[in-house]
Amino acid sequence: MKILEVINLTKDFDGLRANDNISFSIEQDSVVGLIGPNGAGKTTLFNCISGHYPLTEGKVIFDGKDITDLKSHDIARLGLARTFQVYVASGDLTVKENIMVGCFLRTHSRSVAMRRTDEILEQLNLTHLKDSLVKELPVAGQKRVTMATAIGTQPKMLLLDEVAAGLTPPEIEEIIGIIRHVHKNFGLTIMLIEHVMEMVMKVSERVIVLNYGKKIADGTPENVSKDPKVISAYLGERYAKEHGVGIDRGLHE
Amino acid sequence: MEALKNALDFRDFPTIDLTIAGIGALFLIIFPVLPHSSFAMATMIQFLMFSLYGMGWNTIGGYGGQVDLGKAQYVGIGAYTTAVMLVKWDIPFWVSMPIGMCLSVIWSFIIGYPLFRLKGHYFAIATIATSLVLKDIFEVWEFVGAARGINISPIDYSPPDFLRLMFKEDTYYYYVILGFFFLGIFYVNWFRKSRLGFQLRAIKDNEDVAGSLGINVHWAKVKTYAIATAFVSLVGSFHACYIKNIEPEDTMSLDISILIALMAMLGGAGSLWGPIIGAGILIPLKSYLKEWLGATAGLVGIDLIIYSLIIMVISAFEPKGIWGIIERVRGRSSS
Repeated sequence: MKILEVINLTKDFDGLRANDNISFSIEQDSVVGLIGPNGAGKTTLFNCISGHYPLTEGKVIFDGKDITDLKSHDIARLGLARTFQVYVASGDLTVKENIMVGCFLRTHSRSVAMRRTDEILEQLNLTHLKDSLVKELPVAGQKRVTMATAIGTQPKMLLLDEVAAGLTPPEIEEIIGIIRHVHKNFGLTIMLIEHVMEMVMKVSERVIVLNYGKKIADGTPENVSKDPKVISAYLGERYAKEHGVGIDRGLHE
Repeated sequence: MEALKNALDFRDFPTIDLTIAGIGALFLIIFPVLPHSSFAMATMIQFLMFSLYGMGWNTIGGYGGQVDLGKAQYVGIGAYTTAVMLVKWDIPFWVSMPIGMCLSVIWSFIIGYPLFRLKGHYFAIATIATSLVLKDIFEVWEFVGAARGINISPIDYSPPDFLRLMFKEDTYYYYVILGFFFLGIFYVNWFRKSRLGFQLRAIKDNEDVAGSLGINVHWAKVKTYAIATAFVSLVGSFHACYIKNIEPEDTMSLDISILIALMAMLGGAGSLWGPIIGAGILIPLKSYLKEWLGATAGLVGIDLIIYSLIIMVISAFEPKGIWGIIERVRGRSSS
């Protein structure tokens, strides 16, 4: 069953086309990576799907409903949660309080929200940090808290925007473990933007590649990583040629 | 039921805070039987009133981070509703006060709905403007006495009149407002732990993230603005019965709006005790400056200079006010 369907999505910023006629659909219960060089339009695509940007053209269907024109909070209510790439907490919320904000989406009761928060804290190995201020945590911790908070909204699907950026290899290993755990134990469909290839290839069953706002590849991690278009997009045409990889000349024209 | 439990539960504060708060509460309860001057009594009533104004402001301004500088318009609506209803139709305080609150809340929706499309400084400026416009309307509105205002003459009533809140001795007024003061603390104690309270703190943190967590940012702000308004309007109604002479200039001026915001900002915006600490410092200061300095040396307006100074110092050095300093010192000593 398809949980998310993006149909001919186009997003323009004052003449700059950030997303160009992108279409794909995501099966329920899958983990899909979204990769592409800097400026490929990955975060813009997330912002369009989650209702933070209005689309220029196209449609987004989530869980059988057309969410194209819905506000971000209504989309979250339907069960599509997301994290942000650059999220600097400035306020005075502790880790526990931050996750409670997420849990309060599905309940009015403080005690219910607290109970769910405690469960999530434990599942994501955050219990020891629960009384720390979010803003005082290192990047790795903050990223885990934003994930935990998004999970607190009890979503059906989770969009993760670069949760591994800026982390050390052991921290990446840990977050891979958490993503797998979350996928399995909370029954979440996950779509993640990531620059850390090792992580994308490890956790995703399918990878979508964007370049200059267009979808250039879509398939299993093995196939995508061998795709000449992807290689040239990442490494440049010359590098790809020197290393004997085929290049689609028409790519950037 | 859970809400009531949360309102009465202060256990998340350290024992030392609760001890101080307990001693403070006890002092407030027995204050009228202690020897005191009428000046001190008047100052204490002002302190309680402004604590309540500040608590109201603190919901939207402190927890929500929306700097609102137009609260005086709701003091006016509350005060005028009670005064007009009493003088024209002899309607008692306990009826006119909730009606005033309703009118204020309705007005707050009319104002708040469009105003919360604005952010930051633009929002603050717009709140000032709406408040001043309402004041100007009241200054020319004959039904409410225009610029002369409304005078409640106490000789028309036989004090102590508990229904109309007409008393000869300030002690009665003191206990009425003290009752509201304690209710206000319980309410804010519930609010800060409530769903709306958490949503508002998330909004203050980052509005985009708040939206992605399913929070209707605009509606949460409008709702909380209405809560803040209800607080202010209630005290406005009390103000009418206590002062008995309501003029647009006294009740709805920009000074009042700024003073209300300043209570919470000085004491600590976004903390339960902040507005009370702020009022505890500013109100005696204000009374002193007005009564002695202003009268004897002719230094009219010196209080305004001092308020502006305080605003500048807070925003430059400690945005979280005195409570922020206390928390920091505590954090340092515990770690």
